[in-house]
Amino acid sequence: MRGLAVLLALLPGPALAHASERMVILTLPTGWYMVGAGVAVLLTALVGLDARLLPRFAAHQIFERPRLVPRALAGWLSAAAFLGLVAVGLFGTRDPLENLLPLTVWTLLWVGLTLACVLFGNLWRDIEPWSAPARALRRLFGINRGIGLSRLGHWPAVAGYLGFAWFEIVSLAPADPAVLARVAAGYYFVIVALAVAEGEDWLDRGEFLTVYFGFVAKIAPLWAEPAGDRLRIFAGLPGAQVLRLAPLSLSAGAFVTLVLASVSFDGLTETFWWLARLGINPLEFPGRSAVLGVNSLALPLFWLLSAALILGAIRAGLPAGRFRDAAGPMMLAFLPIAAGYHVAHYLIALLTNGQYAVAALNDPFGRGWQLLGLSEHWVSFGFLATRAGVRMIWIAQFATILGAHLLAVLIGMKLSERIAGGHSLRAHLPMTALMVGYTVFGLWLLSTPAVG
Amino acid sequence: MTGRPFTTTPTRRTILKGMAGAGALAAVPRFVQAQSSEPIRIGFQLHRTGIGASYGRWYERTASAALKVLNEAGGINGRPVEILFEDDGTDPKRGAEVVEKLTTQSNCDLVMGTLFSHVVIGSAPRAGELKVPYLVCSEGHHVASGMLNRWTLQPGITDVKSQVQGMAPFVSSNLGKKVTMIFPDFAFGHDHRDFFTAAMAAQGGEVIQQIAIPPTETSFTRYFPQIPSDTEVIYHVMVGPAVLTFVKELGEFYGSGARPQLFGFIDSLEAVDINSPGLEFLDGSHFWEGHPRYKQADASEHETFYRDAVGVDDNGASVSDPADIATYAHMFSTWETLFVIKHAMEAAGYTGPADRQKIVEAIEAMTGFEEGQAHPQGPKVFNGKTHQAFGLQSITKVEGGKLVRVHQTSMEDGFYPDEVDYTTMSF
Repeated sequence: MRGLAVLLALLPGPALAHASERMVILTLPTGWYMVGAGVAVLLTALVGLDARLLPRFAAHQIFERPRLVPRALAGWLSAAAFLGLVAVGLFGTRDPLENLLPLTVWTLLWVGLTLACVLFGNLWRDIEPWSAPARALRRLFGINRGIGLSRLGHWPAVAGYLGFAWFEIVSLAPADPAVLARVAAGYYFVIVALAVAEGEDWLDRGEFLTVYFGFVAKIAPLWAEPAGDRLRIFAGLPGAQVLRLAPLSLSAGAFVTLVLASVSFDGLTETFWWLARLGINPLEFPGRSAVLGVNSLALPLFWLLSAALILGAIRAGLPAGRFRDAAGPMMLAFLPIAAGYHVAHYLIALLTNGQYAVAALNDPFGRGWQLLGLSEHWVSFGFLATRAGVRMIWIAQFATILGAHLLAVLIGMKLSERIAGGHSLRAHLPMTALMVGYTVFGLWLLSTPAVG
Repeated sequence: MTGRPFTTTPTRRTILKGMAGAGALAAVPRFVQAQSSEPIRIGFQLHRTGIGASYGRWYERTASAALKVLNEAGGINGRPVEILFEDDGTDPKRGAEVVEKLTTQSNCDLVMGTLFSHVVIGSAPRAGELKVPYLVCSEGHHVASGMLNRWTLQPGITDVKSQVQGMAPFVSSNLGKKVTMIFPDFAFGHDHRDFFTAAMAAQGGEVIQQIAIPPTETSFTRYFPQIPSDTEVIYHVMVGPAVLTFVKELGEFYGSGARPQLFGFIDSLEAVDINSPGLEFLDGSHFWEGHPRYKQADASEHETFYRDAVGVDDNGASVSDPADIATYAHMFSTWETLFVIKHAMEAAGYTGPADRQKIVEAIEAMTGFEEGQAHPQGPKVFNGKTHQAFGLQSITKVEGGKLVRVHQTSMEDGFYPDEVDYTTMSF
């Protein structure tokens, strides 16, 4: 009955849409922003047909420094911290917004670290908790061969990511500290076992978090490249690293499309539009249990549809027979979109749940401590109810989505120069249409009425 | 925070240690003593995530503040009290699991706090099977309608039928006799439609048009021509993200010309600043409020105490952020329910889970609550047969960017004939 008065705040498990924000955003002229963004993408594509106007995407080394913490030590510290967090998940407070495990996984890592990697390169490499234990165990057991897992390419990571996306977007209680602790610990030990059996280098291809952070970090304008015990720090236009990557294999391409599709799907399933398709009244959204089955089915279908659209657009523009050579390189152009969607989609979660994360560090055991000097009611969401606050968030999301697509168009243009017959109006037309569509779709997801 | 134990269940080891330390012969009385000074454990089914989360945030804050006050005053029967908050995702399936977990794994003495109707309706049967008192803060009519069971009670907040019915005398004698209702086309809106239409007729007024808006609608202009020109009052209960748009478009429809009186339920704008962009048109309009968001000129000392304890300023916002508006009209229910639990446990001489039935019987024996620190929203009448509280409702008017009380209903305005007698049902 009443109950449903609400719709004010809607957190889907880990992520957090916020309806008071949607309330305000519905009063903003978001339609014009969408039109403007679509036109900007289109114009960029047209201008980019003149190859001389495309940026060079050069990379410059700005300095070199020694490693501050040896990688093995950092890895062991991470592994210890992870297991400590699992203990907090199992034995700490049951409140998902006070327990450090869900806050760390869903807010600090999944949202915060993604943003950090998009800006500063692959920071995950330094805190990844598998390599150090796997290397030590291999040495201990005298294992120096693999079991052939590497032959599977990125497919294990694709499977891992699909499972993860289902857990986050569809499953009943991904933020429940005990549920998350068991799932995370289970996954951790499976990966340790596989890395011991195959060798820790396999993680770069087979473990989805390592693959994921590795890919989104390729967008960063600043990044480090290891050189022995030292690190070389580079700077360049976002995308400079992407253009230096080898073409994506089929499994790596599948991974990129999955990342892109899953974030869009997360946004889509919260919209009134989607719920109306399912015959569910969004004003009395019955909770995840009511959509578990249909969303479990729709997630992989949505992925397949997205992948088909992308591959179809690449194929439609090319002369017959060129597709096989073109798909691998052209898929790289979707890396900025995948990263940009992620940042825009989770921005509000970062601003809201991020506060809970800071508050949890302020009082990690719920004992009324104020380690960071924060007051009792420090967590506050007032900015989501003001026009100024919501406009600022919308503009940040708009800039992220638009910037990601412009970058994708430019990278696509640069990549197509490598393909015979690839850099022409005819070749770019389907891709450009797709990019325009994706830009508008991404902005629509962020501004249409939605629940949690 | 008080009552937020780091571990949620006493381990077998701590109990055994207590026994061993007391020595074999002395163990029994010492253990009984230790048992009775053990904390009372109250399970709180919290909408921490899901669509109820903005309510959940304030329900948790209010309940925690009440707990602090309760413990500082000596707890219950001299025993300290803990609240164990457990997230239900605002999902009925998880809700039932949460009731079970709090009862069987966390050994809570009872469960309280649920707001959303579908979660209450999904969880109450489990509470009945587990024979654990389930005290909801939902304002739904499902308790008093007889839909639930002996173990489910709502002593901390009035139900929507009583609230809606209580508005009719004021509306018909002060705002107008001819009412057009605009409501979302689902159960929540239908309750308003049915209860208010009947109550208006009883007052000699008339609902001359009922405009049901599809729940997914985000633009409303095309519905407004259905408002009859002789409408004296528009009764609106729109909810959801399109509320600001609704008000803005209604304002554009009437322009600066004459318009009917407006009467709404604050549920539309709970946790939303009344001065939000687009709401200018509401100036001079009236609202139902379960508990006035803005501190009134004649506020009681208890009201002031309650605001301070929860950390809410005179405008109904968090003391730490003037833009962070509380779910003020409803959240008092968790505070008041906690104190009802205290009184019930003390009246029943509650010692442990074996006495759970006595809690229900003690609450059923209650007839009402005086206004006071335990009941800052005001006095209540409690109907033990229907398990439902009745109270005073406020009608406030938007004046100068604030909601100012212009009327308070009488207790009788909200009464209606009993629809169930839970006391005749077995436990």
